[in-house]
Amino acid sequence: MCVDSTAPLVTLDNVSYIYPRVEKPALHDVTLAIGKGEFLGLIGPTGAGKTTFCLSLSGIVPQFYGGRFFGHITVAGLDTLDHPVSRLARHVGAAFEDPETQITATSVENEIAFALENLSVPHEEMLIRIPRALEATRLEGTAKKHPRELSGGQKQRLAIAAALAVQPDLLVLDEPTSQLDPMGAQEVFATVRELNKTLGITVVMAGHAAEELAEYADRLVLLVDGALVAVGAPHDLYAQVEYLERCHVRPPQVAQTFARLQQAGIPVSTIPVRLEEGIAALKAISSAGLLPVRVTSAAGTPALRKKTPPLLSARNLTHVYGDGTVALRDVSLDVYAGEYLLIVGQNGAGKSTLAKHFLRLLLPTSGAVYVDNIDTRDLTTSALARRIGYVAQNPDNQIFNATVEAEVAFALKNLEYDEVEIRLRVEESLTALGLWERREAHPLALSKGDRARVVIAAILAMRPDVVIFDEPTTGQDYRGARAILDISKQLRAAGKTIIVITHHLYLMPDYAERVVVMGKGTLLLDAPIRDAYHAVDVLASTHITPPQAVLLARVLAEEHQADFPLLTPEEVAACFTVNGFRGSFADG
Amino acid sequence: MTALTLHTVERDSFFTRLDFRSKLALMAVITLVAFVWESPVLGGLLALVMALACLAAGVKFGYIRTVVTLLLPFAVFMILMQGFLGADLVRARLDRETLTPLFTFPAAWPLIGGGMMTWEGVLYALNVVFKTLTMILVLPLGIFTTDVNAMVIGMVKAHIPYKIAFIFSSTLRFFPLLFEEIQTIIEAQRLRGLAFETMGALKRLRVYAKIAVPLILGALVKSQMLDIVLQSKAFTGSPERTYLHETRLGAADYVVIAGSALFVIVAAIAYVGWGIGRFGKW
Repeated sequence: MCVDSTAPLVTLDNVSYIYPRVEKPALHDVTLAIGKGEFLGLIGPTGAGKTTFCLSLSGIVPQFYGGRFFGHITVAGLDTLDHPVSRLARHVGAAFEDPETQITATSVENEIAFALENLSVPHEEMLIRIPRALEATRLEGTAKKHPRELSGGQKQRLAIAAALAVQPDLLVLDEPTSQLDPMGAQEVFATVRELNKTLGITVVMAGHAAEELAEYADRLVLLVDGALVAVGAPHDLYAQVEYLERCHVRPPQVAQTFARLQQAGIPVSTIPVRLEEGIAALKAISSAGLLPVRVTSAAGTPALRKKTPPLLSARNLTHVYGDGTVALRDVSLDVYAGEYLLIVGQNGAGKSTLAKHFLRLLLPTSGAVYVDNIDTRDLTTSALARRIGYVAQNPDNQIFNATVEAEVAFALKNLEYDEVEIRLRVEESLTALGLWERREAHPLALSKGDRARVVIAAILAMRPDVVIFDEPTTGQDYRGARAILDISKQLRAAGKTIIVITHHLYLMPDYAERVVVMGKGTLLLDAPIRDAYHAVDVLASTHITPPQAVLLARVLAEEHQADFPLLTPEEVAACFTVNGFRGSFADG
Repeated sequence: MTALTLHTVERDSFFTRLDFRSKLALMAVITLVAFVWESPVLGGLLALVMALACLAAGVKFGYIRTVVTLLLPFAVFMILMQGFLGADLVRARLDRETLTPLFTFPAAWPLIGGGMMTWEGVLYALNVVFKTLTMILVLPLGIFTTDVNAMVIGMVKAHIPYKIAFIFSSTLRFFPLLFEEIQTIIEAQRLRGLAFETMGALKRLRVYAKIAVPLILGALVKSQMLDIVLQSKAFTGSPERTYLHETRLGAADYVVIAGSALFVIVAAIAYVGWGIGRFGKW
């Protein structure tokens, strides 16, 4: 690590900031020095002030937003209040959460050149810097491509390349991996770490990717309600599992596992926070005198499967988009009533395309799709919507009304229910989602998590048999993601069929029982969750990494030459007792 | 049906290789001539040439078909309006009193009884339709064949202030996003039981109005995000900047600019001298 603590690159001196027309400060009395060459991770729950912190380093807060700003921030010796954003941009490069909205040019090289052009970098110099930036972000050969031809991970690396070309001292990345599949996220982290190590660029990265931040960050800053509540090395901060969980921050699963072991009285001297440390520690714990292992694997999909006809069925489904992209190839899948199905796969694997066929939002190019044995070609989307609720990723595209109540009633009016029935269903749905008290509020005045709940309430009011959640946890912190998934669990308990599409595998063991793995438009695996999560090679082929607990379980399996189909830190920890090894784990 | 969105042609052609300044000159001349000409024959020819040029440039046939389809209700409206009610205007244009009747409604019919559709009125309506079609088709010919970045450089070289060029290019970039957003919202509404298939025109209109809320919200969020992104990339709108790509006028550009100038001069002389392009002449 090349941190020079004597000459910090960035200083925040008692910084507080309040957005216009808001009373609560987004940042509260933050004092911090960031050393040259440091990789600083910024963690905290949603609304903690991470984005505001990032924007304040480039002067956008408060110069762009206005509001009340107290204290001082300096970057490379420049006070962010005294220098325009365009001047600070020479020192601070930035990349944001959504790879789509931050790319403005129509070719990769023009995207990188844009900031250079604005800074009047001579043409000849641009011709030197652009290939360098492409090489540093491993995007060689893409200079002439349109950004839309790039994958999500490549787009995010392009945003970083564009920032890098300016040769900034500081690279600020605000949740740059939250919309990427695990492999895309890994690409971004590896690239940033390399830039940090080889070029000595200081990095500030905000995010919820605990496993990766533990791996790559030199230091972590924990923000809660705008205040800096803890600073320390990943080993110090992520090891405080209980404290972080109280702050609604998810520690890496390795740390969670060893914290559980410690709680169970197993002697653990240091809680590891990185995977390889966890593997070594696990081997050390389980090395001596352990009993033979007998682990019960999950039965997986429920017994009613195959006894009843499928509720949803795709038969040799192929879909080719207008531009020639083959999104699905010969996919056959049956979903039975009452199942909780998880669909995973890389970005562009065809997950959403498949789901949209069940709603007739797309029609098969070849093959057929059936809902309750009826070909979707013979049905309309509005008719299907009564039976299948679809919760898309962005709630804001699904809100059309001025009150929460009207929003939930919207579909019911379209379906021409009478007033009494509408009132009954609206109340029932809003109560179930805990939104009844807020029924008069404008949906857009609610938090993102609550807006998502409004959309779910609106869909539940139609009393569908099936609810499809398409990336419901993207952009949500751990608490928000769990809250949405808990709703799905309640629905399942009420007899609904649930389909969830997500990259966040670590969230799903408490919910899903069957997993469909997709890659490049094909169905790679359809198996019970324990088998699917342990099919590491299949997951890797579609750019998915299993949760760390699964990887630890595989170490146990290797050590003991036995089956350990474990999924969560709790399950791994439950294999051990104070006297040694419990030796079995049963589903329950 | 091909969606009426902005896109870039995939084919490399004479038009894609032209500098945007030449295309600007061509677009200006075609628009001016189309605006001035009132002859349905010449106007129709010009529209046909534009359609062929678009196809040659790689604009998809489906796109042109969509434009024509969308213009059809306008064409019918114009033909009815000018055919039945435009007699005075047409007489003034032709400087004669007698018009050629195509058919007359029986006098006993209520409201429209005695109404007469004239051949000249129909021709005048066709002139307006062709004029409109030409002016629409000239846009994809110039815009779809040019990379947005090349447009900005071309406009700056044509002494259009950089800020205006940037706003223009940003608008073009914004359109596809906007259409995407509209599609997503309509999709979300269909998923809430809206049966567009069976909906009457009035109800459909009311439903479309509901799109405005999420659309405006989405556009605001996107534009604010774009603003932040631009600022973080040192964008100030200042003309004091450099460019990665240079642009130079080639031989083909000079030919197009000279040809455009010659065409407008010849058209003006023919119009003033011999009345070519006036209504009733050709």
